[in-house]
Amino acid sequence: MRNIRRTLRIVMFLVVGLFLHYVMPQQDIARITSTEIIRTDFSSFNRIFYAQADSGSVDQPTRDLRLINTERKSTYFFGLIRGGNETMVFRNEDTGWIYPPYFKFDSSDLQAEAAAEISTAEAQWVVVTHYGWRIRWASIYPNAVAIRTAPSEDYRPFPWVNLVIFAVMIAGAVFLRAMWMQFRERTVDPLADRVGDQMDHVNADLAERKGRWSRWLGTWRKKK
Amino acid sequence: MSFVRLVVFGGLVLAVIYLCVSLYSRSIRREKLENQWDANPPEDATPDMRASFIANGMAVYESGLRKKLILLIFVIPPLVVASIIYFIN
Repeated sequence: MRNIRRTLRIVMFLVVGLFLHYVMPQQDIARITSTEIIRTDFSSFNRIFYAQADSGSVDQPTRDLRLINTERKSTYFFGLIRGGNETMVFRNEDTGWIYPPYFKFDSSDLQAEAAAEISTAEAQWVVVTHYGWRIRWASIYPNAVAIRTAPSEDYRPFPWVNLVIFAVMIAGAVFLRAMWMQFRERTVDPLADRVGDQMDHVNADLAERKGRWSRWLGTWRKKK
Repeated sequence: MSFVRLVVFGGLVLAVIYLCVSLYSRSIRREKLENQWDANPPEDATPDMRASFIANGMAVYESGLRKKLILLIFVIPPLVVASIIYFIN
């Protein structure tokens, strides 16, 4: 039982952690090399990793996808360790109103910005804020959300937004726990007490009745 | 269309949160009043006096600022969404 519970807990932790890793914004230092548009035919598997059609358009089974090709500084271990350069392709899609809640409607403008920041011989570094993963065998790209110029190649952006989101989430969890404790203390426990009380009364009553019954039976027995 | 969905479902979620938080806040206040009375009851205290003390305290709470502040639950998330929209686009 304890092992099952432990396994469930680990699985839940993993699922939540992966979900957050997918959805939370990340910032990469990158050099935009080109932008392009390819037509995509989604499979039922990789469909969930793509956004809906641009906000204000209708959803079709196949559509064009804006891509931003970059060369970026590779990072490991949540961006703490810097590696060399690697290529990375970002998609550039509206997230719309629902999920994930970036409320991005300006993918066309972002594409224009990316095109304006294209750097060829003279490296021009930008910070690409994005969420999502690059999964090559399933043709899944991270979604670029914003592009701004980086002060230098070695610039390390600090994840303030993630910090705030985590703080709010932890505060919410603590608050929820406090609410649950209060609910248990004030509503569930008194109710359980009352039920327990009732049970005691019923049991006592039963014992009493049984006593009377056996006493009555006793009146039929032969007196010694 | 998805905007309508966001408004409807977001509103529902916020309503549930509002309900939970207001119940919680009321319960906390009641507990505080009970403890306040029990810590230092007057000489000739009767259960009726205790009940009326708590009822008075709850009436003050019902018309107080704290209860109105809980309505911020309906104000802050739309503001957050608006600011995200502003900063992202």
